[in-house]
Amino acid sequence: MRRVAVIGVGVTKFGKHERTSSELFAEAAADALADAEISADRVQALYYGNVVGSETEHQLHTGPQAASILGIPAIPTTRFEAACASSHAAFRHAVMEVGAGVSDVVLVGGAERVLNVPTPDSTEYFAYASDAVWEQTLGLTFPGVFALIARAHMQKYGTTEEQMAAVAVKNHKHGALNPKAQFQKEITLEQVLKSAYVADPLKLYDCCPFTDGGAAVVLASEEVARKSRRPVWVLASAAASDWMLLGDKRDLSRVPATERAAALAYKQAGLAPTDVDVVELHDCFTIAEIVATEGLGFFEPGAGARAAEKGMTSLGGRVPVNPSGGLKAKGHPIGATGAAQIAEIVTQLRGDAGSRQVSGARTGLTHTLGGNTATVLVSLFGRG
Amino acid sequence: MAEPVITLRHFFERARAGQLTGVRCRKCGELAIPPKELCPACYERAWEPVPLGGEGTIASYTVIRVAPRAFMADAPYAVAAVKLTEGVSILGRIVDIPLERLAVGLPVRFRPIVRNSQTAIGFGPA
Repeated sequence: MRRVAVIGVGVTKFGKHERTSSELFAEAAADALADAEISADRVQALYYGNVVGSETEHQLHTGPQAASILGIPAIPTTRFEAACASSHAAFRHAVMEVGAGVSDVVLVGGAERVLNVPTPDSTEYFAYASDAVWEQTLGLTFPGVFALIARAHMQKYGTTEEQMAAVAVKNHKHGALNPKAQFQKEITLEQVLKSAYVADPLKLYDCCPFTDGGAAVVLASEEVARKSRRPVWVLASAAASDWMLLGDKRDLSRVPATERAAALAYKQAGLAPTDVDVVELHDCFTIAEIVATEGLGFFEPGAGARAAEKGMTSLGGRVPVNPSGGLKAKGHPIGATGAAQIAEIVTQLRGDAGSRQVSGARTGLTHTLGGNTATVLVSLFGRG
Repeated sequence: MAEPVITLRHFFERARAGQLTGVRCRKCGELAIPPKELCPACYERAWEPVPLGGEGTIASYTVIRVAPRAFMADAPYAVAAVKLTEGVSILGRIVDIPLERLAVGLPVRFRPIVRNSQTAIGFGPA
């Protein structure tokens, strides 16, 4: 495999937009190409993530639609649907296309629009990523899925609602430093603990919001990247899956797909968890961040909650997690999330993250989870 | 072409009649619910259906208060992961147990939930 680099990134403001998902992607993609200082006619393929377009926009075939509205209709496009991990799955395949020598410049991204429909509808559409026969028929929601995981973690390790709340407080503190974030405001532990239950033991402020937004990154071969201004190298991009049904998982307090994908990624890169300086991981719910920090090897299983409470994952802590504000505060346009996480890590490794910069960061990790913890992508990045 | 030992349709027909059914691998003895085409332990295709007792304990549970549109009228309602006596686990909707009595380890018993001619997995008091 050839070496592959990210040479440009673009992210829209996250929040509510009166624009289609493909428009949001096109804005982010044009920004990414400008950032890469590369002409659109150099792009040889688009790998695109979009999840509930059929439901919220009555739109299938969003790959060519996204390329068309960007203005480069002739290239091959592929749409990836891997629930909330869609554009990270797209990224891994694009890395393989460039790594294999098929293309030298590939665009990767994603977008989602959901705030144009009421919450009971978006809650239902997101639940389509759980099993239609065995889980949707129970009225299971995504907060419900992670509530089951939270209760199992609390039961096994004594994790508390206060410790989960500390993750929300931390990510809002980081999000306040990110001009693209949906929520640029700090919150208190009391606000989290007093917020209404959505799916016990998870409360409103344990949950990420519904978000419209788009994100894109430009991938290039080593030869092209060497001529670019500030390439960030892809050191690894790995995927793993797990049983679709929560009932088939032996231990709900852990996410085996995270552990498997992380092991593969560390092996590809020849790195260990202690080498990672900055992390963007999938905090769709506060408990998801805690379990991910354990699965990625930063803390032992069961130690993630205490670590969050002690500030070890805050900016300035031992391993800063979600300096962007994470899904919790930056927002979670599900088709765009993986690409947006990669854009943040690239920004961090370039030293361009301003007031949320992790000083001296040289190695970064992104982690994106899809569905009932059935899909996980982990990628590693390095500068220079 | 091997006939599937039990299709989802047959599983839910039996479930609707009150009988929870698993499959056991004739090669390695692995028990699974719901049915799968291949044994995840030995990858053989040698299942036989086995009736399950329907008894188990709550391994984890949640009370869903913000529901999908189709379930809004039911909220709040509980969904639990139940570990069956035979050792396998399955998710189910909790019925006829007050929400404040729910606890990890609480014994429960399988009960089919039939709604709009669709059968779902439910668990009620043991």
